[in-house]
Amino acid sequence: MEETKVVTGAWELSTFKFNVEGRGLQLMLKHMKDRKLMGIKCHQCGTVYLPGPFYCRKCHIKIDEPAEVSDHGQVMTFTIGYADVRGNPLDEPRIAPIVKLDGCDSWIMGVMQGCAPEDVHVGMRVKVQWAEETTGSLQDMQYFVPE
Amino acid sequence: MDRKVAIAGFRMAAAPDLETTRERLVFELSKGLLDDLGIDRDAVDNFVLCSNDFLDGRTISHVFLGPPAGGYMKDQTKVEMDGLNAFIYASMGIISGQYDVTMVLAMSLTGSQVSPYLYFDYSLDPTYDRQLKLLNELSAAALEARSYLAANGYPEELLDAVAVQNLKNAAANPGQARRIEGVSREKVKGSPYYYEPLRELHCYPPTDGGCAMLLVSERKAEELTDKPVWLLGMGRSTDIYFIGDRDLSTSLSAAQAAQRAYAMAGIKDPAAELGFAEISSPFAHQEPLLAESMGLLEKGKAAAAYEAGDTAVDGGMPLNPSGGPLGGNPLCAAGLIRVAEAARQLRGEAGENQVKKADKALVHGQDGLCAQQSAVVILGT
Ligand SMILES: [Zn+2]
Repeated sequence: MEETKVVTGAWELSTFKFNVEGRGLQLMLKHMKDRKLMGIKCHQCGTVYLPGPFYCRKCHIKIDEPAEVSDHGQVMTFTIGYADVRGNPLDEPRIAPIVKLDGCDSWIMGVMQGCAPEDVHVGMRVKVQWAEETTGSLQDMQYFVPE
Repeated sequence: MDRKVAIAGFRMAAAPDLETTRERLVFELSKGLLDDLGIDRDAVDNFVLCSNDFLDGRTISHVFLGPPAGGYMKDQTKVEMDGLNAFIYASMGIISGQYDVTMVLAMSLTGSQVSPYLYFDYSLDPTYDRQLKLLNELSAAALEARSYLAANGYPEELLDAVAVQNLKNAAANPGQARRIEGVSREKVKGSPYYYEPLRELHCYPPTDGGCAMLLVSERKAEELTDKPVWLLGMGRSTDIYFIGDRDLSTSLSAAQAAQRAYAMAGIKDPAAELGFAEISSPFAHQEPLLAESMGLLEKGKAAAAYEAGDTAVDGGMPLNPSGGPLGGNPLCAAGLIRVAEAARQLRGEAGENQVKKADKALVHGQDGLCAQQSAVVILGT
């Protein structure tokens, strides 16, 4: 349109500082060094979350009961991506499942390896592939691989 | 409801790129609507605007958009969620007796302005999901699609059937942004995967657009329109943010929002009593998923319903006879455009896409990843 012209603009939003709820994440990281997954259970409804929040999102009460979760579980859903989240093409298709770990009610997302894209299916049994050397960081849990 | 609310008129715009400014789009929608009704802004006592700061590129975006809407020195508030929430909020002001005439206006220029689909990054939890670098609007929708297909044993071809039906309806609707001639399952199947199982033509097209609508009390409706469309019921529900805490194969938020709207409208058997539905389903799998959740299609029978043509314009439960969000989906305005499309049907003005039973309809709107929030209204003649 003759009456408009384009001016490019950006909105820099990278200067935030986020306080993070420490307890559930610290609990999880501490045990990851020993290749264990520790979540938090709601004493009222029994829901187990990983990482554990300080309150039950359903009951709206404070919770703090540690609950160990298995590092085995099953694929609830998955997608195969050809680009990263910003739209840049990937060298190889990436399988990203959401997994329900045994003993846990919230599902966690990750990347799957050791399996061709055409062989993944909902309901498939998988396990966490731990790092050679665990340090108590989120990187300890590297991938999901077929059980 | 003590006081009734009617839709007196509306104006819509949608295109891949409207080549216009935000202010000009807002002005043309609102001014055009007032001209249609033969009134000016003096007749309007309340303005509810709907935009999103991330999409608009500036915060508290309605401070810029109030004047072009005609809101100078009027009561003027903003809703940041989908336009159907703005519609409900505006209706409440009339039901309460506070106002008689309210303009609702929702818009965004997301088709031409931001990287398509990627703005959702800003809405992710910054300390976990955003760090994970796996989730965006498309990958989340793909996870939901796979979960829905697997839970019901539906083939991926259901997505093609939904897309073809919507794109055919969209092609026959001059107001839609994406109008593809001669659409076929082969054509849909031939479009590239974004995130499996979702292909390009299973996903909404990034769209510029907006919608302005005038809501009025019963007294004002008599003055302003011969074909009032009445609000009969409304309901909303919001699920947990984390998609890992939800069953993605169904929509609890849509089910509850619909139940609340049905209770208010006195609807006992939605599949029998409603003539059609306009559903905010920006991804193909969401139309049957949401329709099942809201009791419009029998659970587990969606694939058969699409195959039998039940959901087509001339079927027993037409879904998105307008072509729905797969034909165009201006963010923020999405749900309000569904209202306007339903009103067009109820007024008998839907042309080629006119459904037979146009007396009572459901409109659905959503917000957040995988319809975390749902809003439902029931409209009637
Ligand atoms: Zn609980």
